[in-house]
Amino acid sequence: MKKIYDVAVIGAGHAGCEAANAVSKMGFDTLLLTLNFNNIAFMPCNPSVGGPGKGNLVREVDALGGLIGRITDLAHLQMRALNTQKGPAVRAFRAQADKHLYQQCMRNYIEKQPLITIKQGKVSSIKRIKDHWCLTLNTGVCYEVSAVIIATGTFLRGKIHIGLFSYSSGPQGQHPAISLAESLEAQGIRFKRFKTGTSARVRKRSLDFSKMIEQPGDWLPHGFSYWLPWEPREPVSCWLTYTNQKTHEIIRNNLDVAPMYCGEITGTGTRYCPAIEGKVVNFPHKDKHQVFIEPEGLNTDEMYIAGLSSSLPEEIQDQFMRTVPGLENVEIVRPGYAIEYDVISPDQLLTSLQIRDWPGIFCAGQINGTSGYEEAAAQGIIAGINAGLYLRGEEPFVLKRNEAYIGVLIDDLITKENNEPYRVMTSRAEFRLSLRQENADLRLTDYGYKFKLISEADYQFFRTKRERIQEKLRFLEGNNLSPGSEEAEIIQAKTGLKIQQTTNLKQLLKRPEINCAIIREAFKNGKDELTNEDEVIENLIKYEGYLEREAKMAARLQKTEGKKIPVDFDYSQVPNLSFEAREKLMRYRPETFGQAGRISGVSPADLSALLIWMTRSRKK
Amino acid sequence: MRDTDTITAISTPQGEGGIGIIRISGEEAINIGSQILRHPSGKKIITWPERQVRLGLAVFPDGSVIDEVIYFLFKNNRSYTGEDVLEIQGHGGLQNLRKILNSTLKAGARLAEPGEFTKRAYLNGRIDLAQAEAVIDLIRSRTDLAHKAALTQLRGDLSTVIKEQEKKLMEILVPIEAALDFPEDEIPDLKREEALKIVEGAIFKINELLANADQGMILRDSATVVLAGRPNVGKSSLLNSLLGEERAIVTPIPGTTRDFVSEVIDLNGVPVRLIDTAGIREIEDLIEKAGVERAWEIIKQADLILVVLDSALGITPEDYQMLNQIKERVPIIILNKTDLPSQISFKEIKKEFPQNKVLSVSALTGAGIKELKSFIREELIGTNISEEHPFLVTRLRHKEALEEACKYLRFTAEGITSHLSEDLIAVDLRAALEALGRISGKSVSEEVISQIFSQFCIGK
Ligand SMILES: Cc1cc2nc3c(=O)[nH]c(=O)nc-3n(C[C@H](O)[C@H](O)[C@H](O)COP(=O)(O)OP(=O)(O)OC[C@H]3O[C@@H](n4cnc5c(N)ncnc54)[C@H](O)[C@@H]3O)c2cc1C
Ligand SMILES: Nc1nc2c(ncn2[C@@H]2O[C@H](COP(=O)(O)OP(=O)(O)OP(=O)(O)O)[C@@H](O)[C@H]2O)c(=O)[nH]1
Ligand SMILES: [Mg+2]
Repeated sequence: MKKIYDVAVIGAGHAGCEAANAVSKMGFDTLLLTLNFNNIAFMPCNPSVGGPGKGNLVREVDALGGLIGRITDLAHLQMRALNTQKGPAVRAFRAQADKHLYQQCMRNYIEKQPLITIKQGKVSSIKRIKDHWCLTLNTGVCYEVSAVIIATGTFLRGKIHIGLFSYSSGPQGQHPAISLAESLEAQGIRFKRFKTGTSARVRKRSLDFSKMIEQPGDWLPHGFSYWLPWEPREPVSCWLTYTNQKTHEIIRNNLDVAPMYCGEITGTGTRYCPAIEGKVVNFPHKDKHQVFIEPEGLNTDEMYIAGLSSSLPEEIQDQFMRTVPGLENVEIVRPGYAIEYDVISPDQLLTSLQIRDWPGIFCAGQINGTSGYEEAAAQGIIAGINAGLYLRGEEPFVLKRNEAYIGVLIDDLITKENNEPYRVMTSRAEFRLSLRQENADLRLTDYGYKFKLISEADYQFFRTKRERIQEKLRFLEGNNLSPGSEEAEIIQAKTGLKIQQTTNLKQLLKRPEINCAIIREAFKNGKDELTNEDEVIENLIKYEGYLEREAKMAARLQKTEGKKIPVDFDYSQVPNLSFEAREKLMRYRPETFGQAGRISGVSPADLSALLIWMTRSRKK
Repeated sequence: MRDTDTITAISTPQGEGGIGIIRISGEEAINIGSQILRHPSGKKIITWPERQVRLGLAVFPDGSVIDEVIYFLFKNNRSYTGEDVLEIQGHGGLQNLRKILNSTLKAGARLAEPGEFTKRAYLNGRIDLAQAEAVIDLIRSRTDLAHKAALTQLRGDLSTVIKEQEKKLMEILVPIEAALDFPEDEIPDLKREEALKIVEGAIFKINELLANADQGMILRDSATVVLAGRPNVGKSSLLNSLLGEERAIVTPIPGTTRDFVSEVIDLNGVPVRLIDTAGIREIEDLIEKAGVERAWEIIKQADLILVVLDSALGITPEDYQMLNQIKERVPIIILNKTDLPSQISFKEIKKEFPQNKVLSVSALTGAGIKELKSFIREELIGTNISEEHPFLVTRLRHKEALEEACKYLRFTAEGITSHLSEDLIAVDLRAALEALGRISGKSVSEEVISQIFSQFCIGK
């Protein structure tokens, strides 16, 4: 039995769903394979989406026409606005999602896509046969496709640890994918081993919330998605409590059965979501750690315990949790665990997310060494678009570091030696001020439309918004506030600011006490459109100087980014390269000069050696 | 030529006539050693313990003995170059050493280029760029002071000062960045007063470095001082007199010097390139005309211009015209031939050109030459050179990086006092650190991230 599709997506997680959606919208017959049809877009960890950097990714995926933003809006339990006082570049939304609702909404959405065929099945090998690829399931079924997106998350040779007990498994007791990893490895793909973990889930009825601090959500004027009407919900609260010395003592006394410390686990874990064992060992003088209790959903009694991720034996988890105020009588539903899994060494990837020398095979999500739903979604949509472009025989779509966090993410992945699962951070983005959460549509929606991921109607809506912003900017530039005028009086009454001389409105808006709403009120001009236009305009004007600086930096980057390095470039010829740089360059094979410079171990001096050599050999 | 070859050279330290050292560096060092060295008994050497002085025989690959030698081996992780290094000490003169060198060449080593051992050290990450540059400067340094400046840089003094400031600035940046990225973790708020103190301290330190950067650069590159003026005023005579040797041709015929003559002199530690030029005049003669044009070129680029006048003739209209033409550059006026009866006095010139400094000399008798020398030195480098303020900044690249760092630190300080939001303060602070990183070689963003996680317990 043999079936033919344009493209197959292996995995219906956060990366796979985005990829399938994107490539199918580009007009390709798409097969979406998942180990279990019940587990589409499953959240194996904290049911939370967004935050600094991650929220920007969600908005960017949404602006390109992806799903994570709209599904989160539909499935949210509470929303918070973070960093509101810390500046425009780092303001971010974070949502708690109803895990089950999230999966249901995603499944509904995917099921409605006419060109997507969903199948439950386990891929056990990928083979090149003439000019196409052949996927074989463990049942023997065979699919013939022209492109493949591998989005298998933490499943490749997954191994779960709870105390000294370990077994082959995908996350949360799902099947591991072993033969697929072996088939790829046999064909020369190199893997490395990462590790992540999660905490125990508990029964709500066993918790004493009176001993905890309530963390209510915020009422926000809009959600993540630019395209859905925002329907905020009655926020469901989270709860905060703390560990104490007793908790730490129990953990410290049991390190000999902690797989992370007794040599059971060899994969590298993350520094930013460490297990409680790690926190206690690495920060011995901290006398308490935060513990957040988060609902897993509305229709379940299960709660998530953020901050107590652990792979200690189940009875030890039970013991130390009982020392935490409010958890004295805790009933564990599922114990916490650590999982080790294979990730592809990302030096094998191109910026398009295609595997080098594997035409038509793309990888996205946690398999590439990232962590997080947002990171997975971001890669998913890019891999989907690039698979589509590959099928059309067109150049790949590469976002630059100054265009999007997505660009930063992928560029970092393929140029940096990542020794732990990669998570976006605003401090990784040198164009942080330009890559704000609120302006993602202005940065990216034109692309989304070009690839047909944004509908005609949504694009029309976007263009009107963009024009309105231009118009409002022109209004500010073209109008003044004169002393003694009626408008000046309203502004003084509102802010206490006394206008001494005629001031241009744009200049006026640069003052910290002035915002768009105040000007609008004084000039009785326009109405609030309930989109984020005010925020866009305020940021553009208030941070003009800084944004100009980034624009200059970006222009400089463009120059080095424009210099392509031939695929078969011979680094052994180049004199004066440090040995480390030479080794790295030969391994990573950067596509542009700019990328070469970002590879760790390649210094500016190496770069000039390379540049001199390249210009010289071109002259010859 | 490849950076992976094993290289060899005679690297006899100065002042030790009796002994000579041959150094071999590279992957093949031990292999070459086993071809050209033998036990004193004549047996082949099997074991190569590290850092132990051994007695042996140097031989040709065919086995014939050249000399009795001492040798020792540094393994790659401990050697200067970062590769296996074999050092062989032989006695006797150059002849003997050359034979051993020859033997290493026959055994497969390649003769090292000048400075190649240092280059290897740099390529293998044993020394940073600033230090590598310093070694090159050291080899090329023309005067004692320049030598000292290069030495301080080689010791990493500049890097030390900069790394210290980087460390302090990181102490502000890391908590800011951590708080921006992890708002729900417990990260202490920015303490603005403390931060301001650190930033201002860094500005102060950097300004201190910059204060004598221009002089430092002169020490490294030598300043150019040009002798200019009408024909026959005695420019060439002055050059000779300053050099203490008859370098330029002197005749009573105007228009003697056609092309320029240039020579480096050591003005008490400060290297100065003196350039004697063709006398400036309107002329038909094509060769002399070309010389005059070139003279103008040199005058334009010089660090210091000395305009020579003939005191026996007085100031001619051409002198006026020339002085006027380069007014902005404020040349020094040298009144020459003061041994002859004067047409014009020192006072009169001072009155005529109040902006310019004036010195009287006689190239013929040598009167005033000593004063002229210390005058030039002072003009270029000032008087307060001391051991406490060594010249740490001797390169334009470093100077520019420091100036940029300083600029962004000022923005940072302004931002902190004017209560700018923290994402913006971080931008300025990062820009400053990146500028410093161009000297120290540190990558800010990697550093920030690794410090965030080592300082704060982050993550749910
Ligand atoms: C225990 C655990 C803890 C985590 N903790 C955190 C955290 O604290 N913070 C954080 O940001 N992120 C965390 N994550 C990561 C986050 O869950 C993932 O990054 C994200 O889900 C990855 O998405 P993905 O699409 O790459 O893979 P997944 O969502 O895992 O999807 C993989 C898909 O591939 C399918 N599949 C696999 N193999 C095959 C096959 N052979 N044939 C067919 N289908 C196959 C699966 O059925 C599944 O649908 C954690 C993950 C785990 C497992
Ligand atoms: N008495 C006296 N004669 C001097 C002095 N300096 C130079 N002369 C004489 O002046 C004449 C010209 O000297 P040069 O040094 O050739 O003059 P110049 O300025 O180099 O001339 P051009 O190369 O032609 O431009 C020579 O005869 C010198 O001996 C001085 O200090 N005293
Ligand atoms: Mg002359």
